[in-house]
Amino acid sequence: MGNFNFSIDLPVRSEWANVDLLRTSVQNCFTAIFSDIEGCHSLAMVTGELIENAIKYGDWTASDEQRFRLRVWGEGRSAHISVENPVRSSDTNAEEVMKTLGWMRSFPSAIEAYRAKLLEIAAADRDPGNSKLGLVRIAYEGNCLLSAALDRGVLRVQAELTV
Amino acid sequence: MQGLTVGDLRIEALDAPPAVQLLWKGKSNERHPGEALAPYFREVLAAAGTRNLPVELHFEKLEHFNSSTITSIIQLIQDSRARSIKLVLVYDQALKWQKLSFDALRVFAKDELLELRSA
Repeated sequence: MGNFNFSIDLPVRSEWANVDLLRTSVQNCFTAIFSDIEGCHSLAMVTGELIENAIKYGDWTASDEQRFRLRVWGEGRSAHISVENPVRSSDTNAEEVMKTLGWMRSFPSAIEAYRAKLLEIAAADRDPGNSKLGLVRIAYEGNCLLSAALDRGVLRVQAELTV
Repeated sequence: MQGLTVGDLRIEALDAPPAVQLLWKGKSNERHPGEALAPYFREVLAAAGTRNLPVELHFEKLEHFNSSTITSIIQLIQDSRARSIKLVLVYDQALKWQKLSFDALRVFAKDELLELRSA
């Protein structure tokens, strides 16, 4: 992919069908602009995994407007994908996201963290549910740097990819 | 052996000795893919075990799968090994996402009961 500047900022209804609609929209949009099909697939995968987490673990009980915020933007050779969703104050998911990011940083590389997560899932008796495999996949397969912040009941998870 | 359709995913089953072949097509993007895949995989393993055949999963035509689907595949790897049924995962190495996903699954290829093969 060459240098680019763009920005997409969308309030999205928290409905599962929107995961694939947005994932494929990002993929199609970038494929129309850039020739690197694999890079576009990677951006789309990252978008899909972040949105899945927002819908699964966001707090959609309190708000009348059940929407999360998706931002995709690029500057120079960096692409950023950010998803923001409300979280309940008593919910431990945001803390688990932070812990997972710290756990990933304890490995020398993303592939080693990913392999460790696969083995952890295999060692669980049954479907571990909230395994955070998606986040580890983003770092490994998407080759992204991940960050997260919790501010006034909103969790923002952001992926940055140098292209 | 019956196939399976779950949302945008279609799995075609080919009873083609010397293996039971499952051809994955479309996209596996369900919220809880394991709810459909786990019981289906149990049936597949039972059928393959009865006939002493390996199971081959072909992903070459698959467009996308989410991380929950990867979890289901890991559970299939564990279950097939527990039943001593050989499992072969066939993917398209020319697709970067498939190469990355399946190369990482080689962490489970510690004996002859699991083979990862690029098409």
